[in-house]
Amino acid sequence: MKKALLVALALLMALSLASSAMADGLEVGTYDPAAAGDYVFSFAWWGNQVRDEVTKNAADYFTQNYPNITFNLNAQSWNNYWALMSTNAANNDLPDVMQQDYAYIEQWVEAGDLLDLTPYVESGALDLSSMPQNIIDTGKVGDGLYAICCAVNAPAMLYNKTLTDSLGIEVPMNITWDEFAEISRTIYAETGVGAIYGDGNSENPLTYYVRSLGYTPLWDENGLVATAEEMAGYYARLIDGVNEGWLFDTDKLAGVNTNDLAQYPLVYGSSNEVRCWCALAFSNQIAAYQKAATADGIELGISTWPSLNPVQSNYMKPGQFFAVTTDTRNPDLAVAFLNYLMNDVQGNIILRAERGVPPCTDVASAIADEVSKADATYPMSVEYLAFVGDGNCSPIFPPLPSYAGTAQTEVIQMLAEECLLKGTDMTAEKAGEMAVEMIQKIAANN
Amino acid sequence: MTAISRRRKTGCAAWINQENVAGYVFSLPFIIGFLMFMVIPMALSLYYSFCRYDIQNPPVWTGLENLLTIFTDDPTFRKSLLVTCYYALIGTPLKVVFALIIALILNHESKAVPIYRATYYLPSIIGGSVAVAILWRRMFESTGTVNAMLGKLLPFLKGYNWFSEGPAIWVLIILTVWQFGSSMLIFLSALKQIPRELYEAAHVDGVNGRQRFFKVTLPLLTPTIFFNLVQQTINSFLAFTQCKLITNGDPRKSTLFYTVYQYNKAFPAVGKSQMGYASALAWIMLVIITVVTALLFWSRSKWVYDD
Repeated sequence: MKKALLVALALLMALSLASSAMADGLEVGTYDPAAAGDYVFSFAWWGNQVRDEVTKNAADYFTQNYPNITFNLNAQSWNNYWALMSTNAANNDLPDVMQQDYAYIEQWVEAGDLLDLTPYVESGALDLSSMPQNIIDTGKVGDGLYAICCAVNAPAMLYNKTLTDSLGIEVPMNITWDEFAEISRTIYAETGVGAIYGDGNSENPLTYYVRSLGYTPLWDENGLVATAEEMAGYYARLIDGVNEGWLFDTDKLAGVNTNDLAQYPLVYGSSNEVRCWCALAFSNQIAAYQKAATADGIELGISTWPSLNPVQSNYMKPGQFFAVTTDTRNPDLAVAFLNYLMNDVQGNIILRAERGVPPCTDVASAIADEVSKADATYPMSVEYLAFVGDGNCSPIFPPLPSYAGTAQTEVIQMLAEECLLKGTDMTAEKAGEMAVEMIQKIAANN
Repeated sequence: MTAISRRRKTGCAAWINQENVAGYVFSLPFIIGFLMFMVIPMALSLYYSFCRYDIQNPPVWTGLENLLTIFTDDPTFRKSLLVTCYYALIGTPLKVVFALIIALILNHESKAVPIYRATYYLPSIIGGSVAVAILWRRMFESTGTVNAMLGKLLPFLKGYNWFSEGPAIWVLIILTVWQFGSSMLIFLSALKQIPRELYEAAHVDGVNGRQRFFKVTLPLLTPTIFFNLVQQTINSFLAFTQCKLITNGDPRKSTLFYTVYQYNKAFPAVGKSQMGYASALAWIMLVIITVVTALLFWSRSKWVYDD
C-alpha cells in the first residue's frame, strides 16, 4: 500500500514538473499543423446571437487549414462572461484565447493572466504591419503587448428611424442634451414610447457626461474626478426625465430586459408603454440590433449620444481585444489563430466586421464590399466612424481603476435606481454628494 | 490440492477481505464526495470568511473585518435579509396550508385521483429549474399570460407591471406556493395513516365534518405539518434560482434574496470578486437557519400532538 502510494506520488510530481516545464518553455516558434498532434483549442468571447454565429463560422473555417484542432467555443453574455472568466482564472483554466475589453486589460495583466505577445510580433508569427501604431499601443501595459485590438468603434445612439420619420422628427448628429430631451418629450406625448438613459447597467453615460464638462476619465485612483455639484447635474437629468414621464423609471425598467440585446425595448416589446425609441449603444452593435428590429419592421438610425458638448464627450474606442492567456498549453497555436483573426481576408469576411471595423487597414478595405453585401448596416457604421473620427471626438480615457467594478455595482447602480424612482425622496444634490463620498471610500479601501 | 487452495490468504488480499475494510471500500464513494464537496469546501469557506479574497490573488487574513462591515456598514445585507425573511415567513406557511388543502381534497377513493396527484406534483419536480423561472418571467410580463387572463376579469389589471416594487416579491412567493407538490404527497400519506376507528368513533359521537377535521384530522397531522414547515422554511432561506433569473433583485433590491446577494458578491458581473465577504455572509446564514430551526423545534412541544 505504502509502495503504491509512493509510486503514485512520484508520478504526480513528475507530471506536475513536466506540465510546469511546458508552461515555462515559452520558446517562440511558429505552429506547424503537419507536425502537431490533436489539440482542443478553447476560445471565449462575450457577444450576441449574430456574433456567436459568425465567430463559430470563422473558427470552422480556421480548422480547414488546421484539421487536427477541435474548437471548444464559449459564447457568453457580457454579464456572465467576466464572472466565469475570473473563476477560470482562479482554477488556471482560462481558454487559450479570450476576448478582452479595453477597460480591464490592465487588471488582468497585473493578475498575471495574459501572455506578452511582443516576441511573436518580433518573430513575425503575429503580423501587425498594417495596423496603425496608436491602435497597437492600446493593447500595451508597460513595455509588454498583451492584447490585440480587433475592432474600432464608438459610442452610438441607435434609434427607431421608422418611428421618428413617421412623426416628422429629425435626429441630428452631435445631438445636445436639450435636443434629446425635447425629442423624447414629443415622442412620448405622441405615442407613449419612452427612453432609457442612465439606468445603472454601466457607467458609460456618466463617463460621457463628465467628459462633456472637460474631464477625460470619470475616475482616477482616488475616486470621481468631478465635484458633487457637477455630478448633481447628471442626476437632475434622471429625476427630471422621470417627472416628465418620458424616461423609464426604476419600476418600468424592472419589467423589461435591458441585458439581452435581442429583448431590448428598442427592438422588442408588444406595446408602446414598454418600448423605447433609442438605445445608447456602440457603433458595432447596430448589426445585431437591426437583426432583431427587422422582425417588427423597424429601420434603425444612428447618431451620437446626447451631451452638453458632443465633440468633447465622444471618443473612438478600441472595441474588443483578443488576448492569449498564460493558461494556454500551446502558445504558438494560439498566436497562429490570433494572426488568422487579424489578417485573414476570408476569415474577416466570415466575421462580417460584427465586432467593428477591423483595425488592419488593408483587411478593412479588402472586406468592405463583401461585408456590405451580407450586412446592410455595415456602411452605416463605417460612415458613422468616419464622422466621429473626423474631428468630432476627443482622446479616450485610460483603462479603468481596479475598484471601478465595485463602485459601479454598489454606488452608480444604486443611485441610478434611487433617482429614477417615481416620486423619489432623492435630490440631485444629495445624489451628487453621495456619489463622490461613497466612491472615494471604495477607492481608499481598495 | 484442496489444502493449497483453502490456504489462508495473506497480505493485501486478506486485508481487503476483512469485513470492515470492505465496508469502508463500499462507502468510499460517499466518503470521498462528502470530504471533497462538503467538509473541505466548508472548512475553506470558514477560513475565507476571515480573509480578504478575490479568487485571483491569495487570501489575506483580515480577522473580523468582514463580519464588522456586514453588521455595521452594509445596508444591502440588512435589506436582503429582510426580503428573505419576508419571503420565508409568508411563503412557507402559505405553501404548507395550500398543500394541506389540496391533499385533503385529493384524499378520496376515485380512479382519477392518481392522475391529479401526479399532475399537482409535476411543478415540484421541475420547480427549481431555469426553464420554469424563465417561463414565470414571461407569464408575468406586462403583456404576458397572467395579465391576458386576469385582464378579462379585472380590466384595470391590463398592462399591470408585476415587476414593479411591491408586487415583484409576490411573483416569487406565488411561484413557491405553486410548487406545493412534495409537501402535498407527505400530507397525503399522513392522512392515510390516521386510523379509521377514530373517525368511526367520532361518527358515533355525532360530530359534524368541521369538528371532525379540527378535533381528529388536524391534531393527528401536526407532526407532518411540523416536518413540512421545518423543511420548507430551510428551503425558502436557501432559495436562489427563482430570484436570480426572474428579478435578479430588482427593482431597488426589493426582491434581493440573501443567497443572490451572496452570489453577486462572490461572482460580480463586473469588478473584483469578494469571496471572503461572501463566505462570511454564508456562515451568517448558517447561524440564522440554525436559530430559526431551533426555534421551530422549541415550539414543537406547544402545538405538535405526539402519541
